[in-house]
Amino acid sequence: MKLFGKWGWMVIILLSIFLLNGCGFKDIDKRFFVVSIGVDIAKNSPKKYLVSLKFAVPSPSKDNPNEFAIVSESADSMSEAVRIIKTKVDKEVDFSHAKVIVLSEDVVKEKGNAGIYYWFSRRRDIQGIAWTAIAKPSALAVLKVNPKGESMPSNALLLSLGKEGSETPYVISEFIFDMKYKLIERGIDPILPIIEAKKDHFEINTVGLFNKSRMMLTLNPEETKILNFLRGREEKSASKVTKGNTTIVIDTHKVKTKYKIHTPRGKAPFIKVNVSVEGTLEEATRRVPNENLSTYEKATEKSLNREVEKVLVKIQKANLDPIGFGLRYRSRHFNNDDWEQWKRIYPAITFKVKTKVQIADTGLIE
Amino acid sequence: MAINQVQSIKDSLKNKIRPAEDVVFKEFHTKEKYIEALYIKTISDETIIQDKLLKPFFEISSPDLFLDYLQSSPLVISFESEQKSLDEVIKGTAILFYQNSIFLFDSKVDRNNSVLDTTVETTIQGPQSGFSESLPTNLGLIRKRYPQTSLNVESTTVGTVSKTDVMIIHDAMRADPDTVTRIKQFLASIDVHMFQTGEQLLDIIKKSNRALVPVMLVTERPDRVAVNLAAGKIIILVSGSPFAVVLPTVMKDFMSSMEDIYQTYWVTKFLQILRYIGFLTSLVLPGLYVAVTSYNPELFRVQLALSIAGSRMSVPYPSFIEVLLMLFMMEMLTEASIRLPKAIGPTATTVGGLILGQAATEAGLVSNIMIIITSSVAISNFVIPINAFSFTLRIMKYFVLALGTLFGLVGVVVGFFMLIAYMVKLDSFGEPFLTLIQSKPSKE
Amino acid sequence: MNRYYLYLVLLNMLANVIIFVPKILIEYRYKGAVMGILIAVPIGIVLNYFYTKTITKFPEQGLPEITADSKHRWLKILHLGGFQIIWFSAGLITLIGFIDILSRFVNPEMPKLSLLAIYLAAIFLIIQLPTDRVMYILEIVLFLNLPLIGFIIFKAFTNEFLSWDSILEVGTHIFERPSLKSIAAATYCFSGYANLIIFNRVIKGKLKNWNLIVIFFLGLVNLFTTFLIPIGFHGSDGAQQYLYPWISTSDSLRLTYSPIERVIFLFLMFYMSITLISVSVHWHIAFELLKGTFKEKVSNKKNWLVLASFAGCSIVGVIFLNALLLDKLTVYWMIVRLGFEIILVGSFFFWARRRTT
Repeated sequence: MKLFGKWGWMVIILLSIFLLNGCGFKDIDKRFFVVSIGVDIAKNSPKKYLVSLKFAVPSPSKDNPNEFAIVSESADSMSEAVRIIKTKVDKEVDFSHAKVIVLSEDVVKEKGNAGIYYWFSRRRDIQGIAWTAIAKPSALAVLKVNPKGESMPSNALLLSLGKEGSETPYVISEFIFDMKYKLIERGIDPILPIIEAKKDHFEINTVGLFNKSRMMLTLNPEETKILNFLRGREEKSASKVTKGNTTIVIDTHKVKTKYKIHTPRGKAPFIKVNVSVEGTLEEATRRVPNENLSTYEKATEKSLNREVEKVLVKIQKANLDPIGFGLRYRSRHFNNDDWEQWKRIYPAITFKVKTKVQIADTGLIE
Repeated sequence: MAINQVQSIKDSLKNKIRPAEDVVFKEFHTKEKYIEALYIKTISDETIIQDKLLKPFFEISSPDLFLDYLQSSPLVISFESEQKSLDEVIKGTAILFYQNSIFLFDSKVDRNNSVLDTTVETTIQGPQSGFSESLPTNLGLIRKRYPQTSLNVESTTVGTVSKTDVMIIHDAMRADPDTVTRIKQFLASIDVHMFQTGEQLLDIIKKSNRALVPVMLVTERPDRVAVNLAAGKIIILVSGSPFAVVLPTVMKDFMSSMEDIYQTYWVTKFLQILRYIGFLTSLVLPGLYVAVTSYNPELFRVQLALSIAGSRMSVPYPSFIEVLLMLFMMEMLTEASIRLPKAIGPTATTVGGLILGQAATEAGLVSNIMIIITSSVAISNFVIPINAFSFTLRIMKYFVLALGTLFGLVGVVVGFFMLIAYMVKLDSFGEPFLTLIQSKPSKE
Repeated sequence: MNRYYLYLVLLNMLANVIIFVPKILIEYRYKGAVMGILIAVPIGIVLNYFYTKTITKFPEQGLPEITADSKHRWLKILHLGGFQIIWFSAGLITLIGFIDILSRFVNPEMPKLSLLAIYLAAIFLIIQLPTDRVMYILEIVLFLNLPLIGFIIFKAFTNEFLSWDSILEVGTHIFERPSLKSIAAATYCFSGYANLIIFNRVIKGKLKNWNLIVIFFLGLVNLFTTFLIPIGFHGSDGAQQYLYPWISTSDSLRLTYSPIERVIFLFLMFYMSITLISVSVHWHIAFELLKGTFKEKVSNKKNWLVLASFAGCSIVGVIFLNALLLDKLTVYWMIVRLGFEIILVGSFFFWARRRTT
């Protein structure tokens, strides 16, 4: 052991490391970062999908930070498409910053796309916290939109889906890991926001509801807002109520939803949904005196009750469960066949919605 | 002592000291008595000889009275051995031959005894003066700041040629006796020719004479010495050096500045945390940059990653060469500004730091972000209050950089902990160098 | 409270993420894992109790010193040899598992052997240190990592994507008959006490009973966290699909305002050091026990021989064991480990009682 001495050993170890160390070193400027992935149905092609990758092109100057390149390829599977795209670009394709995944409407309406959904989770380099959305009219169109003032490609999408920028109750954002969770978990179904590509901006205010394999239903913006209330994820919102010939708008800053599933013996099962809303009056077509606020509260409650129930029934009729009533039922019952029971119960269940609205004030003026 | 014995010693002493311009051997006569003195005048203080020896010699007429005077004078010690006398002569002592006895008369000239200003460990507040280059003055400074009767001073010499006077100072009430004996053994075991200053001990302590991390603290501040004495540490003073060595020293001591006790509690805490952050930054940042840009760009959020990628676009070589290049320039700059005269030091820094950095980015040789990283590494390196340790840190970051280049993120993390393990492994005279909660093993 | 003792137990609790404990528990989530955990807690505490009670009779001594003058040679060999193998394999599984994680998530293009090389270099540096120094490193590692791991767990618990309904759904399977495999896996979280076999050298004074109370609560919280958080994120039905539930869970967390947005990288960076020290502690024990079995003082050459055999085993392990195989092996290893632990604690307890009376 004394053959080499201390330094000799160091040199040998270092040399062997250098020999072992063939690859892995790749500089950041030799990588091509995918910022968003789009999947369409291929048209005029024997292949099934059209996969588009939006690459951010880094630029040394600060003048035009928003340069990007979109490379598309039609293929029968994701991995096949990626392999072909790799031959089209000069740098290493790096998925580690793929933060947005958009699937076109045609894709999600079809059955048998589980392979794609799982591909994202299976790849180690695609982050679990990538935003997932449905694209309208096509994924490629969404990728191509180039909004003004974007500091990097797809940043506008990131901000609105991540709610770091604008906060609205019309966006229900979804991560890819959560989508996978909902695709598998019995008793809760996936929801994806729908991104509509306009000329140089996006419109995100509707959602598509999935069953376990494809999109079954889309909700309009108002229904989306109600669904968001029910999921209790977004508190800032507005709700419009008409009473007589006065229309008021309430700016909510607290929305809380509780629901409980009641299965009384011998009677029809029902779900009790309690929504409590707190807010301030933001706009009114006529003067609203403070002492009359409670009547407006009542009116709001009544209209909210109606709306919420309408949405719930609509979802139920499609046999979907984006809120997770089924999971709630499973988690409160100790027997092993609770899921089979629930599948029998759910189509016939009734909703008892009770909202409680509190208008704190009418803003700075009466 | 018999007359012939004295005579033989006198002769042999005279023989052993080579005749030189400044060797003085002189006889003084009065009516009743005469005395002979042997000394080297360049290192002896002739005013002392004049005042304390010659004046009484001529004033006291009785030979016996003068013998009494000599025997009771604090400057005079009696003869022990020939070798000892020789050693003393070359340090400035005068040897007196009076009647039948030989005396050593302490006439050492105390040069360089002016107290210097602190230049290495400066603080904003608190005492501003350091040690002098004279051993008695330094001891006096310590005594003044640490007026305790339990203060124990022992002296010895180190260096086969230089025969440097070294003092070991400790508070007998507070210091651990085991450590004291360990340090004495260590000093006795030192085998060097020239011993000039305490800093030399840093390397000598390792068997291989190759140390990376200092395990003793070299300071120029008497107040730090006093504080450390009170904490039970042992101080080594070296003749001719304005620095004292504090033993045993642990990592915590290297990260503390004297200012810590001159500031308010929260300020101190803040400054201490700042230093540790500086330590971490300086150690890890270059390695982390290479690891992140070349292995794991997914670590950063996408906006940051893209801006790094953008700034690296025009750089024609891999990241680790870029880092090495810039760090190399920075080391050059640091070294240059130490060597330069004080008057043009700032110019070098400005030219090097500002203009070179700016031009290098403009020319596309390094990226903007690299400039930021290099400068923050350099700045945080100098946050470490003790210079010896900050130099160590300068070396250690290359280890992390090398592992980061070879293994990416894993290399940085594991390399950092390897350094931690190395420092934990060290000990300074029985005290572990690095532990989270520093407690003496003997106390528990 | 003795902090060193808690560190040792805590280390195993943290390292269980790497050694497939969550994976095994989640696999049996409908088949008695919940009950298994509830049973494992008392088993773990009882083992802790008897072992610490026994070993505090020999203050500041490791097992090799305690048994140095023992006449029962077979008992000594059983103790030293048995624990050696158990601790060496524990370290080995952790190491191979983590190298696999690293090569999947951090350095996918780097050969596993070179990742192993750097880990072995660091581990060999640490295991040759004196026991108290290993303890100091452990303390520093925990000090640097615990607050941030705590932060990640806090972030996970307060995340809006954590589905409590899924967690409760698994909770409703509490009355299933517990499986031995899940019990064995869950007790791993408590088996940090067995590190005392060597680390008793640095423990001063008696171990008070309320250490056990702390461990009881820590263990319970720890087990339910390891087991339930991945379920909350990936579903009662979906979590078992993941090869490394916790790594995937940390990939589901996002720090909105941090420069490092993806928690997975923070998590992996912490676990790089946790794994390093965990393997080092286990191998340090194996190494010291091995030294204890030799009668005379161990020469430098023998030292290197032992380290070379450690390295050889891990190289073989990394080459031949893939994650799936390792996972399967670990399940059986857990059962063997539990059995062994019970035998050892029992025999040590009676042996010490006979000796002291």
